[in-house]
Amino acid sequence: MSDDTFMGVPREKIPWYPTIDYSKCDFCMECDEFCPHQVYERREGEVKLIVANPANCVVFCRACAKTCGPDALSFPSKPETIELIKRLREEGGDG
Amino acid sequence: MADRFTVLPCNGLDKAVGPLAREIALMVMEACQGELVCPVLFNNLPARYAKALELPLIVIDGCGTRCASKLATEHTLKVTRKLQVAEALKLLGESAGESLTPDARRLALCRLLAERLLSPPEEGTAVEGEAAFVEPVEYATVTRDKFVFRIPVKGYLFNENHCWARVAGNRARVGISDYMQQELGDLTFCEPPQVGAEVGQFDAVGSVESVKAVSDIISPVGGRVVVINPSVAATPEIINEDPYMRGWVAELELHDLESDRALLLDGEAYLTLVRQKAADYHP
Repeated sequence: MSDDTFMGVPREKIPWYPTIDYSKCDFCMECDEFCPHQVYERREGEVKLIVANPANCVVFCRACAKTCGPDALSFPSKPETIELIKRLREEGGDG
Repeated sequence: MADRFTVLPCNGLDKAVGPLAREIALMVMEACQGELVCPVLFNNLPARYAKALELPLIVIDGCGTRCASKLATEHTLKVTRKLQVAEALKLLGESAGESLTPDARRLALCRLLAERLLSPPEEGTAVEGEAAFVEPVEYATVTRDKFVFRIPVKGYLFNENHCWARVAGNRARVGISDYMQQELGDLTFCEPPQVGAEVGQFDAVGSVESVKAVSDIISPVGGRVVVINPSVAATPEIINEDPYMRGWVAELELHDLESDRALLLDGEAYLTLVRQKAADYHP
């Protein structure tokens, strides 16, 4: 249950997940090996890694980016995400 | 410089950041008259460095691949201080650039980072209201198989990233919850934030590393770091043993607790969250 919401907001409404810059990514798979939440998925072909399960990403966690040698991972702005969560909480209420 | 160190640096010769790691390693070694470990030789012949490794160890990683750290972990070396050059440069608003030969500007940055490695972090002023932070805590527990997760009933605020803040006056101590430390397993390293750093709510306020994973400590409150726990860097296992008391990581002077509080959980609400998590807990 708790994995479906974050701070009272449906998780899928919070756009917090990594974006892979494919011009930098060397498909070393460190991030995929690191992330315990199956955010990434490996693929056959030219693009060997994708962000397959963005809603699995832990909001405010950027730990996988630290494993990235070529610095190919980016996350949304934290203050904007907080503002969005506040707004969605106000709109959503409990009902 | 009284303390001598042995330095285990990144050996990345094919990336711009590797030669910077090398420069920093040389600067540190020369400044403290310490020893240097070649990671390639160490990997093949660890006994060659048995003597050098009697000194406290500094690990210098070039990039996020953290080869030097991983080598240290593989050989169960105790790391006293560490630096990740690419990340440190980013914090300074700089980068390693493209060239494999460091220019004068980057050498100056290397010198700065080397000096920082050698001068231990300031420990801030004596802790005001220390007594307010050491009052004993009453715990509720959530049990799942052989795991027991403790949650302080009163006096702590939590975020959903499993980090806590204990407020006293205009200050708060922050750390990680019992649930998070058990999920990570035995901690091998804790990097507290820099004293003086401004931390926003939900910014990283240091990190912890275990045999399983590296994790940011996501601060439940915004503020300025005024004191760091002098024990956690050298003995991160106290976070495993006593995450809510002796295992605090940093103390912050608060910016706007009332605003922060609106996005936090009290002990009871966090207890409910841990109950839900524990129901599908598979460590």
